[in-house]
Amino acid sequence: MTTRTVLIAAALAVAVALVGYEANRFWAYLIYAVAISSIGAMSLNLLIGFCGQITFAQGALIGVGAYTAGNLGNAGWGALSLLGAGLCGALASALIGLPALRLRGLYFAISTLAAQFIFSYLFKILQPLTNGVSGLVVKPLVLFGRPVASDQEYAVISIVLLFLSWLFLSRLAQTDVGRALLVIRESELVARGMGIDVSRTKMKAFLVSGFFAGLCGGLLAFTSRFANPEAFEIGLSVDQTAMIIVGGLGSLAGSVIGAVFVTLLPEAIQRLGELMPSADLVSAFREMAFGVLIILFLLLEPRGLVSLGQRLRSRWSGSKSNAGTAVTIPLRDRSRTFAMPAFNRRKV
Amino acid sequence: MTLAVRDLTIRFGGVTAVANMSLDVGAREIVGLIGPNGAGKTTFINCIAGVNRSVAGSAVWGGREILGLSPAALLRLGVARTFQSVVSLHDLTVLDVVKLGAAAHARRRSGFIAQFFGSERTFEDELCESLLKPLNLADVARSPIQTLSYGQRKSVDLARALAAEPQMLYLDEPVAGLTYQEGLNMGAVIRSVRDRFGCSVIMVEHKMDVVMATCDRITVMAHGSRIFEGTPAEVQTDQEVRRVYLGDA
Repeated sequence: MTTRTVLIAAALAVAVALVGYEANRFWAYLIYAVAISSIGAMSLNLLIGFCGQITFAQGALIGVGAYTAGNLGNAGWGALSLLGAGLCGALASALIGLPALRLRGLYFAISTLAAQFIFSYLFKILQPLTNGVSGLVVKPLVLFGRPVASDQEYAVISIVLLFLSWLFLSRLAQTDVGRALLVIRESELVARGMGIDVSRTKMKAFLVSGFFAGLCGGLLAFTSRFANPEAFEIGLSVDQTAMIIVGGLGSLAGSVIGAVFVTLLPEAIQRLGELMPSADLVSAFREMAFGVLIILFLLLEPRGLVSLGQRLRSRWSGSKSNAGTAVTIPLRDRSRTFAMPAFNRRKV
Repeated sequence: MTLAVRDLTIRFGGVTAVANMSLDVGAREIVGLIGPNGAGKTTFINCIAGVNRSVAGSAVWGGREILGLSPAALLRLGVARTFQSVVSLHDLTVLDVVKLGAAAHARRRSGFIAQFFGSERTFEDELCESLLKPLNLADVARSPIQTLSYGQRKSVDLARALAAEPQMLYLDEPVAGLTYQEGLNMGAVIRSVRDRFGCSVIMVEHKMDVVMATCDRITVMAHGSRIFEGTPAEVQTDQEVRRVYLGDA
């Protein structure tokens, strides 16, 4: 990450925040919805795209963040409730990540699926904290001593937090910890052989990822003023996974692009549907669109919109492009390489 | 510092891969470990590198028992290794991999906070100058590993191990898969590495011309144990070594 990238991102954030502040409620809603999803998608991408730990419990972690922020906010914690949401998310994530110290790949993924269902159930039965199936009503976020009521203000807050989260995660990717994550994704055996403490590094990834998932949940609770168990079921995990697949696995910018795409797609289909005669048809199409989209991306562009953008850019800039951005290895090829790490191919 | 391995035995189920293997490596010495396929050379290296477990024996490095230590712990004691076949770490650049190697060496590496906030430019330049240039990798320092040739990847792996400033270096077939010329160059590089860093080297290798030109002493393994030890010249004339390699005449 160069200084130039940071400046561009900052300028972009300021521009979108300004638009969000001046726009009408609907546009402000779209902006904060995208920003909040982006934070969640980045946190998920850290685990799946960077560290290679496939998890389906993202919805549960966002839920933990939402209920934590809701309860702390209602108790008068103000902005600290968002911090609390992050910390509780990190804690829950570390708990869900514990099996990853022994399980790999699909086996770990299944354990997170189980965790997702356990948490969904807990949200329903922990009456005192979650108010069960009827849902928890959340008071507005109190910032600098006054409640934040308008959607426009939430748009600005969400964009600022998205920018800070991106800054943190992209810096993290450039430390030894971030690089170690990439090696673990390719091969745990190689990582171990290189002297990387695999268990500790994975735990760090779970903690950081959980923190931002919790933050995402906290923002979600304050903006929708409500947290109910149905919102944090497996469907949310699927949505978040769709975002990082569409946007680009292992890319923070891709997470944001994916979040924009996946959040705005239903809106676009809705608009399209208003032009059509049958409303039933449209709602069916909406359900299908996600599934079709994920399949298409996995088949045609496994590294997401980001790599599509890189390819177009290197084609436009022609000979000026360096080899680094032009080469993209499809994920399916890679999976073949890292299923067979160096140690297995050894001849003694 | 010296390494003394005594009576090392490694079994996989009913198969005894290494039996009562002993090996001494002096300070600044390059020891070649050769032997026919299946002799147990790589298993032996993996064991003293903390990957495979032994059932008996000891390995003392600088007065400390190192059997059973993790690769990370060994790196902290100055023991580094390279791998026989290199994996391509797709998204990482040459500098990324070398920095990871340096990460094992606390003295050389800034802490997490400093890395998080600071720029690594000076450290990168230092790595380029001290490691990548001698290995002819300076031009590709910022290229992803996947764009490099097999020979270059081998060099990257060596650079990664050297970045930890090891005192003992295990090289598992550093020349395998390289062209004849690349192989001879690698041999020269290994000797210059020893001279510059003052480290001891254990080198498993099949290419005899490289082994003969590079090593100070050669240990021959067959069926999991040592059958001969001596200078390159002695190995070439030994009848037992000839028998193991070529069969009874």
